[in-house]
Amino acid sequence: MNNTFNINRFGKILKHDGLNFFPNIILALAILWAIPVVVYLFTSLMPSDGTKDILDAFGRISVIDTLAKIALIIAPVRLYKYCNDSRKGIVYAMLPASTLEKFLSMVIYCVIVTPIIYIAGALAIDSILALFNGPYDGFAVSVYFDRYAQINYAFDYQDAKMLLDDTWPIFVNSLSPSFLTILSILGTLTLSAIFMFGNMIFKKHKTGKMIGILILLAIIIMIIFVNYVANNEALTEYFKQIDEDNVTEFIERMIFIWMNVALYTEIIVSALMLFGVYRKIKTQKY
Amino acid sequence: MIKINNLDFAYKNTQVFKNISLEFQKGNIYGLLGENGVGKTTLLKLICGLQKPQHGSVTVDGLTPSMRQPEFLQNVYFLPEEVITEDTTPEKFIQKIGCFYPRYDFGLFNKLMGELEVDLSKKFNELSHGQKKKALLACAMSLQTDYLFLDEPTNGLDIPSKALFRKVISQYCSDETTVIISTHQVKDVENLIDPIVILDRDDVLMNANFAEITDKIYFEYGPERLQNAYYTEMLPGGYINVMPNDEHLESNVNIEALFNAVMKNKETIKNLMK
Repeated sequence: MNNTFNINRFGKILKHDGLNFFPNIILALAILWAIPVVVYLFTSLMPSDGTKDILDAFGRISVIDTLAKIALIIAPVRLYKYCNDSRKGIVYAMLPASTLEKFLSMVIYCVIVTPIIYIAGALAIDSILALFNGPYDGFAVSVYFDRYAQINYAFDYQDAKMLLDDTWPIFVNSLSPSFLTILSILGTLTLSAIFMFGNMIFKKHKTGKMIGILILLAIIIMIIFVNYVANNEALTEYFKQIDEDNVTEFIERMIFIWMNVALYTEIIVSALMLFGVYRKIKTQKY
Repeated sequence: MIKINNLDFAYKNTQVFKNISLEFQKGNIYGLLGENGVGKTTLLKLICGLQKPQHGSVTVDGLTPSMRQPEFLQNVYFLPEEVITEDTTPEKFIQKIGCFYPRYDFGLFNKLMGELEVDLSKKFNELSHGQKKKALLACAMSLQTDYLFLDEPTNGLDIPSKALFRKVISQYCSDETTVIISTHQVKDVENLIDPIVILDRDDVLMNANFAEITDKIYFEYGPERLQNAYYTEMLPGGYINVMPNDEHLESNVNIEALFNAVMKNKETIKNLMK
């Protein structure tokens, strides 16, 4: 018998976890689906200055994406809350599937199924609301997969435009749609992996504790970074030399560094967190 | 066969087992007895792979439980003492997990639910504690695993349910099934268990079947308390004396009296049964 991976057994654990999926998460998803509807109703019923408010498709997409991230954060706790519980977790631990099969099933439901179902539902609701003569302008679904256009939209604010006026074409040209897609997928994976790991290591207040740790880490990293920059003479000297002539080059360089740091950090953090989840499934004591 | 060799186990600073060795042969219904806190549940968890030995080894048919390989897991089922179940009916619960077990029999589940008089339509959280236990027992038995571990299965059962429990276990466990029943309510499992394992702190005081026990220990029912008895207890109409069986007389094991005798004469009986 193959004790590492067997496709039939994997199908069974997927089915098992799938049967638990909707009863455990549907209420949370319904609340997240309701938020854009509440915004729609609020905007429809209470016009700010007598004129009709318009909520454009890109703005709505950013709301849907933010709520999808919340769905990603809560999914591990909603779906696998008790898998490290010394009493309630015994049934899960004793299920005759390998650690790899249980792990892959967990990843599929937390990282793939949850956001897909949330986003599909949110876009469907958005499309229905956009059919009415309300504040929704255009269908979010029609531009949802155009990440390139969304980035353009995100930077289409006066302040950002002034700052990036010269750099903007360089920045946009340096980002291929495939790179943006990879970055987006990695971001999703990292966020989910962090909270999956939190779900495995904490017994109570799992999401809250993980958010606390992330805030603490962000503060520590920021303090270290600021101290490093402030005490690094070469960097200080470099910053002093920035003027109108070379600001474009500086921004271009910063964006390049930032993108690479983001890419590699997400790869490393995802890999570490997912390995941690796998180890905890394998070695959890009850 | 379950083999435990030189097992050491501790929870943080509390030593539970120190260098214990034990074997459980296939096809028996073992009674795992011991006072509260001696490690009966811990031993079951070690055999199921829910805990890992610090030293020594535990193997079940040559497999290491703590590795939690599917090949091992599909042949064991552990029914914990505390009944915690999902918000679902026993039928849906067993259908969800049954497919993982090669000999799972849904027909047997329905039959057992009927025999144990559990309402099929109710969810676990709508059932009483005893009904939940019986439903979970029906689930466990319908999986037909080679090894079934029951931790205090009669706790919370009423008197008719205890009788049903004994009937179901003795009737539906095949000759190939090894059942280990951990309990401190020995009367509930009388006439069901054989052999008996008695645990003490850090130690195994006895692992013997009834024939081996009665070969060395004599259970005498009489009108008076005997001086050379390991243990004597007053019963309605006389006394039970647990004594050395020097003359190889035949008698019936009284598990409660045996347990008390072992607890009062740990080293003597341990050495006697070696």
